[in-house]
Amino acid sequence: MLLKLAWRNIWRNRRRSLIVFISIVIGAISILFLEGITNAFLNQMLFNQISLSTSHIQIHKNGFRDNKVIQNFVPSPDVVETILSTQSGVKAFSKRGITFGLLSSAENSSGIYLTGIEHNREGQISKVKSTIIDGHYLTGEKGEILLGKKLAEKLNVNIGDKVVGMANELDGSIGSDVFRLVGIFETENSEFDKTNIFINLNQFQSMLKIPGQVHEFAIVLNDHKSADEINEQIKNKLNNKAYEVLTYAELLPLLILQIDLSKESMFVVYFIVGLALIFGIINSMLMSVFERINELGILLAIGMKTTKIFGMILLESLLLGLFGTLIGSAVGGILITVLSDTGINLSLFADSLNSYGIGAILYPSVSYSELIGVLVTIPIVSIVGAIYPAVKAIKLQPVEAIRYI
Amino acid sequence: MEIIIAEKIEKIYQDNGVPVTALKDVDIIVNKGEFLVLAGRSGSGKTTLLNLFGALDNPTKGEIKFEKYHLAKMNKKELSELRLNKMGFIFQAYNLIPVLTAIENIEFSMMLLGIPEKTRRERALSLMKELEIDQLADKRPGEMSGGQQQRVSVARAIVNNPTVVLADEPTANLDSKTASNLLDLMQKMNEEKKITFIFATHDKQIMERAKRLVYLEDGRIKQD
Repeated sequence: MLLKLAWRNIWRNRRRSLIVFISIVIGAISILFLEGITNAFLNQMLFNQISLSTSHIQIHKNGFRDNKVIQNFVPSPDVVETILSTQSGVKAFSKRGITFGLLSSAENSSGIYLTGIEHNREGQISKVKSTIIDGHYLTGEKGEILLGKKLAEKLNVNIGDKVVGMANELDGSIGSDVFRLVGIFETENSEFDKTNIFINLNQFQSMLKIPGQVHEFAIVLNDHKSADEINEQIKNKLNNKAYEVLTYAELLPLLILQIDLSKESMFVVYFIVGLALIFGIINSMLMSVFERINELGILLAIGMKTTKIFGMILLESLLLGLFGTLIGSAVGGILITVLSDTGINLSLFADSLNSYGIGAILYPSVSYSELIGVLVTIPIVSIVGAIYPAVKAIKLQPVEAIRYI
Repeated sequence: MEIIIAEKIEKIYQDNGVPVTALKDVDIIVNKGEFLVLAGRSGSGKTTLLNLFGALDNPTKGEIKFEKYHLAKMNKKELSELRLNKMGFIFQAYNLIPVLTAIENIEFSMMLLGIPEKTRRERALSLMKELEIDQLADKRPGEMSGGQQQRVSVARAIVNNPTVVLADEPTANLDSKTASNLLDLMQKMNEEKKITFIFATHDKQIMERAKRLVYLEDGRIKQD
């Protein structure tokens, strides 16, 4: 009956309760939407990094991450390949040769990050293949090269044009080769497109005179959440300090830190929205208590304990908060579900987004834990907001309250 | 059997910092089954005394004993329990809970006692039939006349079988016929159920029916 009484009390002043109810609904939608957008930014940054080049796990010679020189190639690539071929949870892997160099066309030249790839395997590792906007992906033919759109524009080259690639060999002399542009890619990351070029691994090895040597194994897993576990298993199988086996979280520490910070900064959003809601609820519940002083006096007179009156006021606020949050979460959830499918088109800001490695279309998403966070936090805020009015209510003296006009 | 013993009661209010004596040296004993009227002009102290009997207020001096309980020695929670278990209240403005129906208003104090829903519904309905207000069961206070509301408030006051019902000007807002019907009802409850009724009123109808009339003037008992 207390529940019934609390529920009916809420709707005594419909307009006031509706204002609080709507503010709670809007609060819940705002938090969910903001979480969704933040997740869209962060997930896309992470996903793009992983799918462009980082992959889920990388294996190098120990020290390669800090010193990417041509001499630091993987000690026994055949051993690594055998282990990876039988490792459960591994979806695909590919060998890479990596070095820094210079790429020149007839008109211009540019410093580059030169990667030799296995054309038949790399397509499962990196999404560069799917971002080809002109020409085609590597086929294994001699002299093929892929350039990003920005770099092709800088060098002023088109499909079929020749470019010359140069990089240091093991002994410090310059190794070079002539390539013919077969494909131009354009990813969401403009910085990546400006500096990364791809050639066939065997040509990379012959140009730099390191036959059979590779600098990196890039591994994609069936489930990225198992990266730590599989990473440990691979380390144990290699059982050799000559290797460094790193997960994407270790390879992208700044991005992971940024994601963690962004998630933690959501508490600030919770705090601001919560603060706004608390004052709204305090105001509304105080008015509700002052309007009912006489009635509260009667309840005290007929023997209702102060704890029950306290509970009744909190219950009224909790019900308002709970239903507001449920409706807000449902509306927010539907909105995010729709937008996660259609995306939010931010083409107007495409250039600046691309410089952060984010596409022009954002796909917001919220996790169950974030949804539960909203469903729990706002009702708690509602209860907290009702404490002061409830204290006011139980401090009433029955005689004075009954006489109150 | 004595149910209320008030000795040397004094009550002084502060009205904007000015002390106002509402009761002075009041000694009174109320026995079980009485139909007692506290009468007097406005400001004579009758409502103040009624509130003190109901443990709704504390005397400035003196002591009130309700059955075996010394009210001054009880805390807020104990006083609430005493009111809930032993007392019923009827107010001038009926003061039913506006968002509850008539039957829910009657059930409310049973709910506070922790009586199961089925039992309290049966008991409330039975009492409503006895008071001939069962047709009002699903009506809210706003849908009832003053007389109907006051009958419901009588039902609310007696449903827990209290030792005493304290009624403050229960007929003040009713026409004489409705007031008479209501008083018939309360007299019936007094006679049949032996519930003690204490009224604070200046309604002659009630005074005429009183088994005992206590007349207050300027905060003192002038006539008993």
